Amino acid sequence: MARKISMKQAVNEALDQAMAADPTVICMGEDIVGGAGGNGEMDAWGGVLGVTKGLYAKHPKQMMDTPLSESAYIGAAIGAAACGMRPVAELMFIDFMGVCFDQIFNQAAKFKYMFGGKAETPVVIRCMVGAGFRAAAQHSQMLTPLFAHIPGLKVVCPSNAYDTKGLLIQSIRDNDPVIFCEHKNLYAHECEVPEASYTIPFGEANIVREGKHCTIVTYGLMVHRSLDAAAVLAKEGVEVEIVDLRTLSPLDMDTVLESVTKTGRLVCVDEASPRCNIATDISAQVCMHAFGALKAQIEMVTPPHTPVPFSPVLEDMYIPSAAQIATAVRKTIKGSK
Amino acid sequence: MSDIQTPPCVGIIANPVSARDIRRIIANASNLQTSERVSILLRVLTTLAASGVERVLMMPDKGGISAMLLRSLKRERSQNHQFPELEFVDMSVTSTVNDTFFAARSMQQAGVNAIIVLGGDGTHRAVVRELMLGTQAGKKAVPIAGLSTGTNNAFPEMREPTITALAVGLYATQRLKGTQALAQNKVLEVSIDQGQRRDIAIVDAIISRDRFIGARAIWKTDNLEAAYLTFADPQVIGLSAIGGLLEPVGRTETGGLTISISDDPGRCKFRLKAPIAPGMIADIGIAGFERMPAGQPFSVALEAGVIALDGEREMPFDTHEQVSITLHENAFQTIDVTRCMQVAAREGLYIHQPSRLS
Amino acid sequence: MQVQNPFPLSRDELLTVYRQMRTIREFEERLHIDFGRGDIPGFVHLYAGEEATAAGIMHHLNDGDRIASTHRGHGHCIAKGVDVVGMMKEIYGKKGGSCNGKGGSMHIADLSRGMMGANGILGAGGPLICGAALAAKYRNKGEVGICFFGDGASNQGTILESMNLAGVWNLPVIFVVENNGYAESTSRDYGTAVDSYVDRAAGFGLPGVTVDGTDFFAVHEAAGAVIKRAREGGGPSLLECKMVRYFGHFEGDAQTYRAPGELDDIRANHNCLKILGDQLTAAGIISQSELTKIDEEVMVLIEHSVKEAKAAPFPTLADLTTDVYINY
Repeated sequence: MARKISMKQAVNEALDQAMAADPTVICMGEDIVGGAGGNGEMDAWGGVLGVTKGLYAKHPKQMMDTPLSESAYIGAAIGAAACGMRPVAELMFIDFMGVCFDQIFNQAAKFKYMFGGKAETPVVIRCMVGAGFRAAAQHSQMLTPLFAHIPGLKVVCPSNAYDTKGLLIQSIRDNDPVIFCEHKNLYAHECEVPEASYTIPFGEANIVREGKHCTIVTYGLMVHRSLDAAAVLAKEGVEVEIVDLRTLSPLDMDTVLESVTKTGRLVCVDEASPRCNIATDISAQVCMHAFGALKAQIEMVTPPHTPVPFSPVLEDMYIPSAAQIATAVRKTIKGSK
Repeated sequence: MSDIQTPPCVGIIANPVSARDIRRIIANASNLQTSERVSILLRVLTTLAASGVERVLMMPDKGGISAMLLRSLKRERSQNHQFPELEFVDMSVTSTVNDTFFAARSMQQAGVNAIIVLGGDGTHRAVVRELMLGTQAGKKAVPIAGLSTGTNNAFPEMREPTITALAVGLYATQRLKGTQALAQNKVLEVSIDQGQRRDIAIVDAIISRDRFIGARAIWKTDNLEAAYLTFADPQVIGLSAIGGLLEPVGRTETGGLTISISDDPGRCKFRLKAPIAPGMIADIGIAGFERMPAGQPFSVALEAGVIALDGEREMPFDTHEQVSITLHENAFQTIDVTRCMQVAAREGLYIHQPSRLS
Repeated sequence: MQVQNPFPLSRDELLTVYRQMRTIREFEERLHIDFGRGDIPGFVHLYAGEEATAAGIMHHLNDGDRIASTHRGHGHCIAKGVDVVGMMKEIYGKKGGSCNGKGGSMHIADLSRGMMGANGILGAGGPLICGAALAAKYRNKGEVGICFFGDGASNQGTILESMNLAGVWNLPVIFVVENNGYAESTSRDYGTAVDSYVDRAAGFGLPGVTVDGTDFFAVHEAAGAVIKRAREGGGPSLLECKMVRYFGHFEGDAQTYRAPGELDDIRANHNCLKILGDQLTAAGIISQSELTKIDEEVMVLIEHSVKEAKAAPFPTLADLTTDVYINY
């Protein structure tokens, strides 16, 4: 029986095992070691939330702190990837992507296609996503749709420690640039994780709960909110099936369509802003490919179209809740043809 | 003194690319930033204004100095700070040494009282060369005052530009006479094939067995053949330091120095360590040296090579060409800042009574 | 009598350099004509006039050394050894082009030659070359990275950030400013608060050197020094090459922002190819007829590349969706 570890530990273990297995895997980021150049201890932080703590001692040559200079080091990670390395760059918060976006969407994403298939850019950019940390508008966003929109990028957003380890190792081995989104409110979440290295293939959604009345398609933290909602609904006799997408690009539409065909109802739950997000994408595709199976209109649960507020009271209202999800499911049941 | 123009006008030639050459890479030579050069100019201009110089004629450039200076002057003037009227020489900028030649010529033509030069030995050489040509053609001699912003600064002395500008101001406004303010300087005249090609050096003419100009600055010592020096100061940097550490010759002393350089064990008499560029202490094989009396041509024995003038490779010469080098004294004038300021102090030129002024 | 070669390159090397510079010139002059005729899709930025810089730097490089190029990248490609016929096909948007017609003029790349791509984003090469240099440091074979950018792109934050990063990590990077005086149509005087790139480098502790970018030997010597320094672990530096741009920012640019007579002066007095040719013939080691022969051979090569490009098939619908993962 596997031991239980947190998602934070899963990230750490995946990086540890990937660096040990392959010397071209290097990690770089702001304070991922911490204390560089100072008179105190090295590895003082191990990342702003301690995710990479201890890795420097094991892999001193593969762990590099960077200046606060996202364009330069994210671009350098991409350049190094094009020259035979497998860099894992940590961009503290996905909110900082604006600072270095060109390097990601014009450079990394396009090399392979633009150069006629003659370049590979096996870079992983890890970043924290999501609200609930009382971190306000510029440290709390769920910007996954921005990246899913861009051809050439792969986007991963796991909901648990097991998926995190397997998907992160897969991301490092993948030859395309991967935006690896870690929900900061899931870092402490624990589950059983094998000690050995393993991978989870991209584009395979996970059915985290089976049910026959309604399908919830979601990812990240919202998987857990959906599970909470499902538990409440179960008492009402409503059996919800929850699809955890795990990777947003590539996207496992087969699993989604299969589930919707079975249940006839769909609720899309997305922590990203409501316009042009993963939920709207899933809804559109289900309408195109499984319209006949739908017994009710599709419901979406998202935050309002506002920046993430600071006040804890407001932020809690901002993040989609289990109650909102349950309400949406009930609407699909009630509104059925 | 009829020589002096009224109202007083001073020329300024600031080389935007001095101290940008390869010696920064190979020897960590200093880099005087453009913004610092502009600060120097602002200090000089303020000082000239305070000295009563009403007009300044300046060389335009496309290397950032004039553009930034204009921007800075606009800001300064909006704060009511006083500057002389600044006019740029009407010329199209080529960003080559031709700009310096053209500007010096125009300033001499315009009758400026003195030219302040910001640069290293190379920039000063270019100004002097042009002024000497003008003087030979019958134009009035113009003294120069050097501010060191280059790499090899044997010729311009290191000094706060404010003081240099004060000295220039004293001369340009006729508070000091030429006999009090000016110093005479030596040059080396380099002549190829009896004057088919001619040039000058104000500090050193170096013969190298290299035969191309390349990145200009002379920095490799393996191919050095000979050095000809107007003066040799043990305290200065550059190839003239070889002479300085061998047989010092003063700026105002009569005659110069020539040195034969060779690594060939048959010719090399001894070796000498000398700071031939900032941060470069080279080990030079000395085959011999002798004083150079003024007016006597010295033939260059090397068949083909390149002549570096004041630190920069300038004149390649071929096997069929004859090179001779002659030292000339009293060739051009500089503002003697030390003496100007001493006289000013002795004569109380900066003392004034407020009541008498009003 | 045997004439002694005064230059720091062998006769054969000099012939190769001349051929390379002539190839770039002819390639660009030909594109200028063919673009004007409407044969070429999109838009192109021509390198003509700047050949001495590409050749002077690239002469020191091997395939393991990486360069990050710019939108004006044809010259860098040719000097780095990218196949000319493949390039021409690429510019015509044809199958068999350097990028199979998917990149075009602004994205020609050949990583096997160390050419990391022309780049449509100004200043984007700075961070990328830091990465290439970092990879080189890990490989520890003395490889270097060269980042080309113009006087315009020097104002991009990416370039400044890259100089800092290269300084912090002591990366074997050379930042090459190709200073042709114009950022598109805007003069350097207007767009650059302090017009010295050596000064900027100094702000990050990087030594810098300015050379006449139209003199092959000046570029070659300075580039040799900075590259040697980087190979030996001396870290990053900056090389500013002052040069001229024969054509507009892009083809079709009427260049009314130039002073009257400026272009004539550039072609008459700052023609790097002529300067090199004159240096070689004056030294007596290469005859004019040898140079003319090269000129003719290059003409044949360019003509051949245009013919090949025109004859080559366009990519097909199947090519539209390859070389990138497609999810749906």
